[in-house]
Amino acid sequence: MLVDWFRIKGRSLHSLAFSFHRLTGIVLMIYLILHLTYLTSLRFGKESYEYLISLTVRPETLPFDLLLLLATVFHGVNGIRLVIHELGFVYEKRNLILYLTFGIVLIVWLYAGYLMFLLIMG
Amino acid sequence: MEVEIKVRRFNGEKSYWQKYRVPVLSGMTVLDALLYIKENIDATLSFRYSCRMGVCGSCAVKINNKPRLACETQILQLKDVQIEPINNFRVIKDLITDFDDFFAKHRIVKPYLIRKNDSYEKPVEMIQTPKQLKKYYRYSLCIKCGACNSVCPVSSTRDDYLGPAIMTTVYRFMTDNRDEGKDERFKIVSSERGVWRCHFASECSEVCPKNVEPAKAVQKLRIKSIIYEIKKFFK
Ligand code: SF4
Ligand code: FES
Repeated sequence: MLVDWFRIKGRSLHSLAFSFHRLTGIVLMIYLILHLTYLTSLRFGKESYEYLISLTVRPETLPFDLLLLLATVFHGVNGIRLVIHELGFVYEKRNLILYLTFGIVLIVWLYAGYLMFLLIMG
Repeated sequence: MEVEIKVRRFNGEKSYWQKYRVPVLSGMTVLDALLYIKENIDATLSFRYSCRMGVCGSCAVKINNKPRLACETQILQLKDVQIEPINNFRVIKDLITDFDDFFAKHRIVKPYLIRKNDSYEKPVEMIQTPKQLKKYYRYSLCIKCGACNSVCPVSSTRDDYLGPAIMTTVYRFMTDNRDEGKDERFKIVSSERGVWRCHFASECSEVCPKNVEPAKAVQKLRIKSIIYEIKKFFK
């Protein structure tokens, strides 16, 4: 069942990473569709694009932007971790690499979030 | 000292929790407690076991949300005791799950040495060095308990996926220098029910009671499959 992708009770951090990866993958797919919709709006003129941007790029939507940023950073960094392991490398160090992944995600997210905050709040 | 044990029961129609109070002694395992219940409190409680010593793999159940061997889990090391059947297997009754599909998948991958010219009339000793043995020894320790398959998120959504235990068996034979069945097995593990389905949740390795490291076996098998596919392409 699909809910089993998100089963984390009694499981290790590896399962948590798997669940997050699935979840962030779904979020990014929705974002990609929205992103392409925004770009397509350019065909109807600059005004329609700017109207859509004005709806989502503003201080009220900053928390959602930060969450989207977290999803992107997590999916990217964790994806690299998965490729490394799936190619058979550093399997024995998988716990350490998982902690490192969480650490890198947190640092990149906080820094990028700070830049985004400056950009949107002026 | 008495311990309260919560067991997830299933009578063919509905699933429900039942509590039992069991007197426990030091050294007592979860399997001992289940046997106590069956012999003294409720003879209808059903569970599977055989060797009672972590060898047969029959007694895997979920204890406090984690799949473990009931015969190897000390009851006094647990705070609360909650026992359920393992996931990803159809429940037949109480803690007994259906392993038919699991063993059918094992049969598909031919879990035995394949030799091209084996002669029963003139048997030849198949000598192996310790180094050659070491290559697959760990993976030969699998007791087919199904714990790894029960936590695999891919096995939970795809019935046709072979799952970690079966692929560990494949890897075990693929790395055995006496085996000559690589091509036959590659066709199976490199198909869409094989290695490509794994997303490295690696929970299988976390729960394996024998430290077989099924996640490692699957990734190693993936590399072998990539090489096999490339070679096939240029043939
Ligand atoms: S690999 Fe480990 S968990 Fe999986 S069936 Fe074998 S012994 Fe059980
Ligand atoms: S009864 Fe055989 S492994 Fe537990």
